[in-house]
Order: sequence, then C-alpha cells, then structure tokens
Amino acid sequence: MILHILNRSPSSSLVYREALAGMGPEDRLLLVEDGVQGALPSQVRHFEGIGGRLFALREDLVAHGLEGHCDASVQVVDVDGFVALTEEADKTVSWF
Amino acid sequence: MRYALLVQGAPYSSQASHSAVRFAAALLSRGHHLECVFFYHDGVYNASRLAAPPQDEPHLVDAWVKLNEEHGTQLQVCIAAALRRGLLDEREASRHGKSGHSVEPPFELTGLGQLVDLGLGVDRLVTFAP
Repeated sequence: MILHILNRSPSSSLVYREALAGMGPEDRLLLVEDGVQGALPSQVRHFEGIGGRLFALREDLVAHGLEGHCDASVQVVDVDGFVALTEEADKTVSWF
Repeated sequence: MRYALLVQGAPYSSQASHSAVRFAAALLSRGHHLECVFFYHDGVYNASRLAAPPQDEPHLVDAWVKLNEEHGTQLQVCIAAALRRGLLDEREASRHGKSGHSVEPPFELTGLGQLVDLGLGVDRLVTFAP
C-alpha cells in the first residue's frame, strides 16, 4: 500500500487527477496544506471512488479555519496520525 | 524505523519547510530515527546561515540545526541547486573566488547520488514540496 500525499486544492490545481490515476486499489490519499480544501463537502466529490481511503491533516484544517467542516467520508488525522500512515504504507508519493 | 525527508520548498515562501519540521518532530516523538533531511531545488535556501527572521517567527534554519544537534540528523544540501542560488560553503566560496560563504556545518553540500542512497537505505523517504 502506498500513501499518496496531496498539497494542492482541487479548485486550484488538476494534479489531484494524476494522484487518483496513480493510486492502486489499496492505496490511501492524505490531503495536506492547501489540499485540505478537498475535504470540504463541496469538493469531496472529486475524490469519489476512494471512499474510506481519504484522509486530511487536522493541523492544516485548523490553519485554514476548516476544522469541523469536513465531509463525513474523510478521516481526519493529526500529524502523529500522518506518521502512523507512513508507517503502515510501504512508501509515500507526494503530489504537488 | 529510519526516516529521511526531502525538502524542496524555500522557507517562508511555501509551507513545505514548516510541514517538514512538524513531521520531523512527530516521527521522533513516535520513537523513529530521522537519518537525514535532504534539501533540493528551492529547499536549499533552508541552509542559509545568514537567515535572520523576526524573533517572534519560527526560525527554520535553527530548527534544522537543532535536529542535527539533538538527534544526529544529517542535513544534506544538493550542491548543484545550492551553488546556482548563491549558497556556498567556505570551500566552494574560495573555489569560486567569493568573499563570503552562506552555508556552514552542520549543513553539508552534497550530490544527488546521496539522495539516491538515502532512498535505498532508509525505511521511509517523505517529500515536502512547495
């Protein structure tokens, strides 16, 4: 399993499409930095198809004033959980 | 586990350096070892010994140095990316006839081969890009 890390919002960059195209059936996607905007209910549709494997970083949600505004399908993790995700993955790929 | 971080964003320009520092602290607190931080592209600006941010802001250069002092983390800087951006250690400054240097230990100028070795040698390599 690969952990994919995306730091771009789907509303400002199309790189999320490449990330999704590069994902295997077990891979996970973590939204960080501006990428956490993708966790909003209005944007999460861009990530349909990876239900249960979509994560967002709490510290960046807080920094963007978005904590508590995520779609219910997104699993929120703090930076400790970010490290845990990298432990569980065989490797990580950053998309930017 | 043995970790390495690849930082490609300049300090104060993008969030990459801050994200990497935060991740470094978290992985160390979980008992992992941070073998090396490799600075590449605009990330080499993290190695400027002359950085003097306002005192009420995080000092990223100091944060990297602290990682080296407290955890033995190597701070490697891509020499090709550094030289063309004016980031030279004493040896390179002298070699290029420059009167001052902008990189000092524990940062070390090194080549991309080191990054390849890191990728092969550590358990996890995590990239923080702009």
